[in-house]
Amino acid sequence: MDFRFTEDQITLRDSVREYLEGTHTPELLRKLDEHGNRDDGVWNGLVEMGLAGLLVPEDQGGLGMGLIEATLIAVELGRANVSEPIVDTAFVAAPWLAAKGQTDRLGDIAGGALKVALAHDVNPWVADLDQAGAVISHGKLADVAASPVALDSVDPLRRLSARGDLGGGDPLLLDLAALMAAAQLVGAADRMLALAVDYAKQREQFGQPIGSFQAVKHHAASVAVKVEFAKPVLWRAAYALQNGHARGSVHISHAKLAATDAAIFAAETAIQIHGAMGYTYEVDLHFWMKRAWALAGAWGDRAFHLKRIDDAVIGGGIDLGPDRTFASEMIHA
Amino acid sequence: MDLNYTPEQQAFRAEVRAWMEAHVPKTPLKTLEGREGYDQHVEWERTLASGNWGMVTWPEAYGGRNLDLIRWLIFEEEYYRAKAPLRANQNGIFLLGPTIMEYGTDEQKARFLTPMAKGEIMWAQAWSEPNAGSDMAAIRSRAVRDGDHYVISGQKTWSSRAAFADWCFGLFRTDQDSKRHKGLSFILLPLDSPGVTVRPIRQLHGETGFAEIFFDEVRVPVENRIAGEGEGWNVAMATAGFERGLMLRSPARFQATAKRLVELYRQHEAHASPAAREAVTQAWTDAEAYALNTYMVASTIQAGGHIGAEASLNKIFWSELDRSMHRTAMSLLGAAAELRTFADGAMNEWLEGYIFSLSGPIYAGSNEIQRNIIAERLLGLPR
Repeated sequence: MDFRFTEDQITLRDSVREYLEGTHTPELLRKLDEHGNRDDGVWNGLVEMGLAGLLVPEDQGGLGMGLIEATLIAVELGRANVSEPIVDTAFVAAPWLAAKGQTDRLGDIAGGALKVALAHDVNPWVADLDQAGAVISHGKLADVAASPVALDSVDPLRRLSARGDLGGGDPLLLDLAALMAAAQLVGAADRMLALAVDYAKQREQFGQPIGSFQAVKHHAASVAVKVEFAKPVLWRAAYALQNGHARGSVHISHAKLAATDAAIFAAETAIQIHGAMGYTYEVDLHFWMKRAWALAGAWGDRAFHLKRIDDAVIGGGIDLGPDRTFASEMIHA
Repeated sequence: MDLNYTPEQQAFRAEVRAWMEAHVPKTPLKTLEGREGYDQHVEWERTLASGNWGMVTWPEAYGGRNLDLIRWLIFEEEYYRAKAPLRANQNGIFLLGPTIMEYGTDEQKARFLTPMAKGEIMWAQAWSEPNAGSDMAAIRSRAVRDGDHYVISGQKTWSSRAAFADWCFGLFRTDQDSKRHKGLSFILLPLDSPGVTVRPIRQLHGETGFAEIFFDEVRVPVENRIAGEGEGWNVAMATAGFERGLMLRSPARFQATAKRLVELYRQHEAHASPAAREAVTQAWTDAEAYALNTYMVASTIQAGGHIGAEASLNKIFWSELDRSMHRTAMSLLGAAAELRTFADGAMNEWLEGYIFSLSGPIYAGSNEIQRNIIAERLLGLPR
């Protein structure tokens, strides 16, 4: 029993964080927002970091890492508000294709030549279909027919197409994508708290920084509690899916629920701490807030995941009690 | 990351389970906060000690088993799974014991730790005063040096366990010209010393767990002071850290409550609201989150890390979870929630638990103080 990341995992996460802090700045988000919201340079940079092939086996040109590493990095992508379809392509499509034995395009994914969109019945739309070279739909990788961006998301950096006949109910695709959505929500929540704290240190009223007032401190502290307790749930969900545990879906739903609640709470609190400035397009906060709203409903909304947990907890699908925290690990063993 | 127990950890779990099944009283003890129930709980402490299960994380030299934190968690899980009684010795195990181990002399360790581990002496806290609650540095109770003794005068209040305990530990002002957190010393004394008056305070539920303590020129030998004269504040801060840190409330306690809550929901499903159902599911998720977080922190500490202001996150999380779970249970019980004893004679443990849960966000540093700590020390907001 050792619930920690390895030093290599921490080093990898830190290097991605540092790269994104240096390149994927709020100024870049504004530029993307003004100029059609995609920039090949961003995608190419992520590919150069090796992220496209993170989960692709080494003999197919990737780094051969696992879902724990991918989840750690998805948090960083959420923290930086990256909009390129790197998570869908590299952290969902790649492991899904590998699990299904559909390995012929994995090399293209690892090399950054193929962007993959994801169609699933749980979502009424498909994200980034307009720039995808292929789409996972009805259990296989399919070509993309003409796919105009047809739906207008509140998130200015998100592009949605109508789903049409695409879709399917693949449970692994749902679990992978819900896990990665949860990870990005946790990253977004962290960032929104950081933005609010920075603002509270700078903004002065009554002759002092508003962050010195308890009313403001307590808002921020409550967000920290919510976000910090979503994290171990997320890590555990990644571990369960990585190891194919029978209860993995319940843990993933728990992670999506906890991450959604943390991110929405962080968003509402962060705008309150920003005061009227938070209500403007000028302040950076809105990019993360809108991403959080979008991801909250994607890959199973709150009600969907609550029901999956509810079915297991109240319906008797899982063991309860103090000695059963790692019960699925025990069954697995 | 490896979330499997080792064969040795599984064997340890089996050992604890077997002992608990053989020794946990079959009928629940009376409340710890009344004379009769208190005596029963002290008897249970001695039973635990007889099996060497009283202070499992302590070094063997002081009557413990030197368990690492993962095994401590396993022990706690089996303890709550077996519905074993609350710990009358809590103040000793988690607060004073670790404090003496860190700051005490060898003589003090020998004198105090072994009887504590055996359950022979029960300890009360003596921190708060009428005008020093959240603002603990406002302490006024005096300990005036007179040769090889201190002469203590003043008043403490909200002293947990003081109604029935044998000794107390707390902070007293040894430098009469000092202000705030300077000039305080950490002193231990028997509650039957001449000049000590204990006045039990009747609590919300009608029983008397805590008390006021009045000191009227009580003579205490200087060797009862832990660490140097005037160093009490730092010692107390360390003690408070133990209290709200990892060990005060193990996740097992809340996971056991969450399980009981699910069972209660199933009994009352016919008239339960959708909101209550969601709250029950949320109780399980939050208890699970608390357990996962604790395993993560325990793994980190075991690998040489430490827990600092993060402890305040824990304290807020478990205290608000406990209150929420009991509030949900009260809602599920409906009209029966107000009954102290149900028609079948069983005590309404949910009501008792709800009342107790209301103290969680207040004791061990109020949640407002915890939020200040998080904001200032973790988030870096200005003081």
